[in-house]
Amino acid sequence: MIGYIIRRLIVAFIVTIGITAVTFALLHLMSPSPVYAVLGNKSQPAAVAAWNKAHGYDRPEYEQFLSYLWGILRLNFGYSYKLSQSVSALFQENLGRSAYLSGAALVLSIIIAVPLGIAQAVKRNTVGDYTATTLNFVLYSMPSFFLGLILIQFFALDLHIFPPGVSDTITTTWGAITHPRQLFLPVITLALINVASFSRYMRSSALDNLAQDYIRLARAKGLSERAVLFRHLLRNASLPLITLIGLSVPTLVAGNLLIEVLFNYQGVGLLFFTALGNADYNILLAYTILGGILTVLGNLLADVAITVADPRVRLR
Amino acid sequence: MTDPTRPIVEGEAAPVGGGFGVALDLPSGHDGAAPEGGEVQAIQSGWRLAVREYFDNRLAVIGLVVLIFFVLFSFVGPIIHPTNQTLTEPLSTDLAPGGAHLLGTDGNGFDELGRIMKGGQAALEVGFLAALIATIVGTLYGAIAGLVGGVVDGIMMRFVDVLLSIPYLLIVLVLATKYSSNVLNISVVLAAFSWLVPARLVRGEVLSLRVRDFVHACRVMGGGSTRIVYRHLIPNALSVVIVNITFLIADSILALSYLGFLGFGLQYPATSWGDMLGNAQQNVSAGYWWLVYPVGGCLVAVVLAVNLIGDALRDALDVRLRRR
Repeated sequence: MIGYIIRRLIVAFIVTIGITAVTFALLHLMSPSPVYAVLGNKSQPAAVAAWNKAHGYDRPEYEQFLSYLWGILRLNFGYSYKLSQSVSALFQENLGRSAYLSGAALVLSIIIAVPLGIAQAVKRNTVGDYTATTLNFVLYSMPSFFLGLILIQFFALDLHIFPPGVSDTITTTWGAITHPRQLFLPVITLALINVASFSRYMRSSALDNLAQDYIRLARAKGLSERAVLFRHLLRNASLPLITLIGLSVPTLVAGNLLIEVLFNYQGVGLLFFTALGNADYNILLAYTILGGILTVLGNLLADVAITVADPRVRLR
Repeated sequence: MTDPTRPIVEGEAAPVGGGFGVALDLPSGHDGAAPEGGEVQAIQSGWRLAVREYFDNRLAVIGLVVLIFFVLFSFVGPIIHPTNQTLTEPLSTDLAPGGAHLLGTDGNGFDELGRIMKGGQAALEVGFLAALIATIVGTLYGAIAGLVGGVVDGIMMRFVDVLLSIPYLLIVLVLATKYSSNVLNISVVLAAFSWLVPARLVRGEVLSLRVRDFVHACRVMGGGSTRIVYRHLIPNALSVVIVNITFLIADSILALSYLGFLGFGLQYPATSWGDMLGNAQQNVSAGYWWLVYPVGGCLVAVVLAVNLIGDALRDALDVRLRRR
C-alpha cells in the first residue's frame, strides 16, 4: 500500500512537470514576455530589450522554464504586472472563497445525489424514476451559466428570496461563510450540475448492488427494508462516488469559473476571467497549472481512498 | 479469403448476433469459405440490427428528429425567414416579440429569431467540425500507439495523460483569447484538447483487437502494419469511435457556448448562442426574456438531442447490451 502510494506520487509528480511544461510552452508561444503590458505598446526596442534582460525574459526558453518550475516548488507563481501583485498573493486572497464555493456545492450535491440515486434504483421504472432521470439528463445537457440564469430569474427576480448576485461587500472567506443567503444561488447552481452526473452513477450502482446476493440474504434473514437500504445498500452503492468525486475536480474548476463570473463572486475563477481580458499571462499560466495539479491530486486521492474503502480493490 | 473484420460488432458475438442469422440465411451451411453473397448479407444484417435497435428506442428517434429539425432550422430557416443580420438598427432595439419580429429584437436591433438561426449554424458547424478533427487525430494517434506498443506506446500515452490533466475549459479559453475568430479556428482550438479521449478509447480497442486471431491471420498472410491499421483495426474500433463522436459534438457545442458567454467566442458580426447569452443577466433583469430563454432553450435542446443519440448509439452498437 505504501509502496503503491509512493509510486503513484512519483508518477503524479512527473505528470505535474509535464502539465507545467505543456502549459508553459503554449502560453510562452502566445506571449513570450509581458514587457508590452508593462512599458506600453509603443515602447522603444531598446527599452524592451533592457526590460527583458532585467527580468530574465531574454534567456533561452528552457532556462526560463526551469526557473519557473523552481519557482513553483517554492510556491512562487510569478508576478501579475496588470494587478501589480504576486500571483501567489492573489491566489492566497481568492482561493479560500473558491474552495468554499466548490466544497459547499460538492457536499450539497452528495447530499442530494446519494438518496436520489438510491430512491430511483429502489423505485426503478416508476414515474418518479423516469422524471428524475429525465431531469438529470436535461441538467447534464445544460450549460451551467444557463441553469444559473434560470435560478436567478426564478428565485431572485420572481420570488425575491435570494439576491441575483453576490454582493461586493463579501471580500473574505469568512464573509462568504457567514452570508449563506448571498451564496445560496451560486452553490445550488454548481451543486445541481454535479447532481446530474452523480445521481446517474448512484442509480446504476445501486441497481447493480440490489441484484446481489448479500441484499437478498439481508432480506431473507428478516431485516427491515430500512436496515437493508441504509445499513447494507447505502455503503456499498456509494463506493463509485469516491472515484466520481476525485474526477469532478475539472468540472468544479470550470464550474467555479462560470458561476463566479455569472454571480460576480470574487474568487480565483473571476480572477482568471479578468486575466483573460487583460492578457495577464502569469495568472493564466498559474491557474491552468494549478487546475492541472488539482486534477492529478483528485485522481490520486480517489484511487487511494477507494482502496481504503473497498477491500476488493487489490493493489500491486 | 474472407474479411472477417467488417462486421464490427458481430465478430465478437457471432453466436448471438449477425453470425447466427447468417448461418440460417445461407443456403449451404458453409464455414469460412462462404460465398460472396452470404458475406455481404452478414455485414448488412449486423448494421441492420443496430439500425433496428436504434429506431426501437423512442428517445433516440426524438433526439434524431430534434437534431434534424435544428439543422433545417439553422441552415434552411434563413432562406424562409430572411432577416437583416448585418446592419444595426438603433431605432428598433429590444423590441418585444410580435409583428415583423416573431421573437423580438436584440440590443442591436437584429431580429432575434434570425439571430438564433445564425447562432445555430455556428453551434452545429463548430460541434461537427471539432468532433471530426478530434476523432480523426485521436483515432490515428490511438491506433498507432496501440499497434506499435512498447516504449513508444508508453510515451505517447503519458503525453495524453498529461494533456488530459490540464483542465479543458481553462486551456481552451486561454487559446481562444488569441486564436478564436472564426468557425474553423475555434474548432481547431477545441479539437486540440478533445482528441485525447478518442485516442485512449481507440488504443484500448486496438490493444484488445491486435491479439485476436484475424489480425494474426492477416499478419501471417503478409499484411503490413498499414494494412492492419486501416483495413482491420480502425474498422473494428469504429463503433466505439462513432459513439464517442456524438459526445464530442455535444461537448464542443457546450464549450463553444462557454467561450461565447465569457466573451471569447466568434468575432462580431458572427455569433453563437453563447455570445447571444453574454449579457443575459442584464436582459433577464430588464425583463427581456425573449433574448434569453429561446436561445438557451435551443442550446439545451440541441445538446440534449445529441446526447440522446449518443446514448442510443451506444446501446445499439454494443452487442453486449443488445437485447435481441
